[in-house]
Amino acid sequence: MVSLPTTPAELLPFIIAVVTSHTFITLVFFPGFIHLTIVVMFLTWYERKLLARIQLRIGPLYAGGPGGILQPIADGVKLIFKEVMIPYKADKPLFLGIPLALVFLGALPFAVIPFGQHWVIANLDVGLVFVFAVGSLFPSMILIFAWASNSKYPFLGGLRSLFQQVAYEIPMWISALSVVMLAGSLNLVQIVDAQERIWFIGPAFLSFIVFFIASMAELERLPFDLPSAEPELVAGWFTESSGAIFMVIFLALYMKVYLMSCLITVLFMGGWWGPAFLPQPIWFLLKALVVATFIIIPRGVYPRLRVDLLIKLGWTRLLIIALANVFITVVLLSTGVLSAWGL
Amino acid sequence: MPFESGQVPQGEARKRIVMQYYPYLLVFVVFDVVGMFLFAWGMSFANIPASDSFLVLLFLILLGAPLGYALKMALKRENW
Repeated sequence: MVSLPTTPAELLPFIIAVVTSHTFITLVFFPGFIHLTIVVMFLTWYERKLLARIQLRIGPLYAGGPGGILQPIADGVKLIFKEVMIPYKADKPLFLGIPLALVFLGALPFAVIPFGQHWVIANLDVGLVFVFAVGSLFPSMILIFAWASNSKYPFLGGLRSLFQQVAYEIPMWISALSVVMLAGSLNLVQIVDAQERIWFIGPAFLSFIVFFIASMAELERLPFDLPSAEPELVAGWFTESSGAIFMVIFLALYMKVYLMSCLITVLFMGGWWGPAFLPQPIWFLLKALVVATFIIIPRGVYPRLRVDLLIKLGWTRLLIIALANVFITVVLLSTGVLSAWGL
Repeated sequence: MPFESGQVPQGEARKRIVMQYYPYLLVFVVFDVVGMFLFAWGMSFANIPASDSFLVLLFLILLGAPLGYALKMALKRENW
């Protein structure tokens, strides 16, 4: 803690102390805003290149400067200078405010994600619950945005987003439950600490599969991108968004992709642990990149599911598998094969 | 309204719409609460005696019967 300045002479040392403090650096530079912005721009570039290679798309494969690095910047400039069109009779404050709320909710969980032993903004005791709580606000926000834009396609997309939440949310929680039991904590730092010897992808492999599929559904990525199904609903719940609003919504969506790959890394892939020749955050970023790759690849490969099939999948398959893994965890812990806190 | 998908929309946008998959929504409301309590149990699993954990597992197994019935009803197309 730095004490507040009382005289003008103390002002400069105060500013220096604040800027060099750990809280400021984590908030602004590494797990904070600048890192997030760079990663989101990188993800748009990465997804384009990956899909172009999978589907042999000539345009995205060769366009945009050296390796296409300039393309995200060009997109940003183009979208900022486009006209923001607000539909007739749309609810203006909600229509303009909800995209900002989406970005806020997308960035908020990064406060509790540990990128290294000391690279975490807020070491929260209920970190996992916090991430789930913030994440479960998204579909409601999407429905409000869809209602505010006064158009039929967005409204249908928003409703589908709500049904999707019904399908994925419970399996997701239950699959995270076995990790919580193995680590004996909801604190994400302690969960990663407990994986020093064995990553939880080993004892909780079924949970990992369920969590991965459920997070694909939460992200509305391709096998489950019903809320923004292009052939049926134009662009789903963001049909009426244009220009800067569209850019802000996409920023939030890609932040969520990064968030879910970070969360899978924390819960199952051992977080920052790795051989010591690389620093901890580098290991974390590498693992998150691998998970993000596996989240992106199905978009180029798989067709889309129906709503009722998705809900059926969630309740009759994923939930049962996740509960089975909870029982496996109970057996592992109570027979002493593994012990909680650190295995 | 569902048949309009893909065509030019007609009429008012904000009108009443049928909420489908109602049985799933009901089960969701129930399992929301169950999931919350399961987290409280799972976090302190190593601290509480095995007999208490046995009760929770028994409850989960007993919950299987109503869940199975609810899913059976939810899978019927006339209940959507």
